Amino acid sequence: MNKAKIRIFLVDDHPLVREWLTNLIHQQADLVVCGESEDAPHALREIGATKPDVAIVDISLKQGSGIELIKNLKGMLPDVAVIVLSMHDERLYAERALRAGARGYIMKRETAKKVITAIRQVLDGKIYMSESLAAIFAEKFVDGRLPASGSLVEQLSDRELEVFQLLGKGYETRQVAEMMNVSMKTVQAHCAHIKEKLKLTNAAELLREAVRWQENYPAN
Amino acid sequence: MKGKRATAESSMMRFVKQLEQRSRAVFITAALLIVAAIGFVDYLTGFETSFSIFYLMAIGLAAWFLGRGHAIFISVLSVAVSLGGDLARGAHFSSPLVPTWNAIILIAFYLVVVWLLTLLHSLQRELEARVQQRTAALKDEIAERERLERELLEISEREQHRIGQDLHDSLCQHLTGTMLAGQVLEEKLAARNLPEATEAGKVIELVEEGIVLSRKLAKGLYPVEMEADGLMLALEEYAATSSELFKVSCRFECDLPVLIHDPATAGHLFRIAQEAVGNAIKHGKAKNILICLDANEEGTMLSVKDDGAGLPEMPPKNRGMGLRIMAHRSSMIGGVFSARRDETGGTLVTCELRLESHSDKLHRE
Repeated sequence: MNKAKIRIFLVDDHPLVREWLTNLIHQQADLVVCGESEDAPHALREIGATKPDVAIVDISLKQGSGIELIKNLKGMLPDVAVIVLSMHDERLYAERALRAGARGYIMKRETAKKVITAIRQVLDGKIYMSESLAAIFAEKFVDGRLPASGSLVEQLSDRELEVFQLLGKGYETRQVAEMMNVSMKTVQAHCAHIKEKLKLTNAAELLREAVRWQENYPAN
Repeated sequence: MKGKRATAESSMMRFVKQLEQRSRAVFITAALLIVAAIGFVDYLTGFETSFSIFYLMAIGLAAWFLGRGHAIFISVLSVAVSLGGDLARGAHFSSPLVPTWNAIILIAFYLVVVWLLTLLHSLQRELEARVQQRTAALKDEIAERERLERELLEISEREQHRIGQDLHDSLCQHLTGTMLAGQVLEEKLAARNLPEATEAGKVIELVEEGIVLSRKLAKGLYPVEMEADGLMLALEEYAATSSELFKVSCRFECDLPVLIHDPATAGHLFRIAQEAVGNAIKHGKAKNILICLDANEEGTMLSVKDDGAGLPEMPPKNRGMGLRIMAHRSSMIGGVFSARRDETGGTLVTCELRLESHSDKLHRE
């Protein structure tokens, strides 16, 4: 009965959300909110000091980005399970957040029903995501276009890899062409090949993949 | 008939205008030569035939191009030459008063003509000056109106952005808090086994719908995310939504990643695409729409092509407004806008951002 409660830290820039999330969590007998914060730097200090079991983090904060905070937490406090709670669409941000080290992603409109489930699931060591998001990931996985993992990228020729890397570093196509001393048409052809090899459907996806790959393998 | 005369008059006026550019010396010489020539012919034909009307050529020339003083001088000279010629040919008068009287009559006649001509000339000058003034004022006014229109567009854009952001950041967050409060209530009621728990659950659902609704509103008001790849994502999403909503095939094609660093530029390009797609569906009854975002050495190009009815010869008033706003948006971001009937019959709307005028230029280094 006197088993220590599971401690949760909240990072959200909206007071009303923090207040009622706290109330909701406190309604569970075994959960307690051990602290809260509205910006990234403060949150990082406090989480370091209180060492909670779970941190619930919003992506858009008053100061600093939630994604950066997650990366920092993963590096400094790998034992804290992070759940992202965001107003943003899961199709755009969930993958980014999970790759940064989060263990769960909840869209704010689903918070009420799902947050407690998510907390319990990540405490069990599982990853939490909505069913529709899981379905999207599964489909990408079956199509073989989920991870721009080393193996797929290895199929790229040297020139294609160069284009892929430069795009990932945030250069524009025009600049890539200038830096590689080739025409835009050539870059376009390279891009078409990269898309084919990595099984990407469009340029936006190509760019996302390039940036992601650059983030994960910065040494390259 | 009237039109023909008007064009003849205007070409005449143009000719006179060109003549006015010549120097005064040319006109003085011309007037003197004319007087000399007519005087000579007058002399040859003898004193019985009057040539006084022909001197008006020289006098008119002087009055129009040289001014009153010169015209009076040419008038006097003409009378002197005419009289001198007549006398030289042996004209005989009963009294020396007769030729003097005739000369005075003739000079008076010439002076009246000079007076009328110079008056006409100055009136014309005045009219021209006034037209020029009015044209300048009108040009200023047009420029001012264009500036206002631009400002209006900017303000509405800014306001939409602000409302969108407020909806997203404040209202949605507030509703999330409300929903959480509802959840707390539901759980408390459920713990006491009260049937009202179901109703509390319903309230949560309603608030959730409210969040979805306000998010959609925010998306409509501010569709493009701040990141440089935001336009590609927004257009992709917009194409998909339009296909679903209007039961058409709306595709987004983008071979190369196109980054637009300036959020305002991205916003305007998005709105141009949105307006063009809306027109294609509403007015053109198009079934297939293709949105393209393309980049090459010269710059960035957005195009929207459809297989609808195409632009009518004379667009109806409100539709013309839509086209004008698109053109406006394009000019605001330094783009070249065109909307025309495609060779296949549909409409092709393009907005081209040349590299030199690209507002992204600042970000390139």
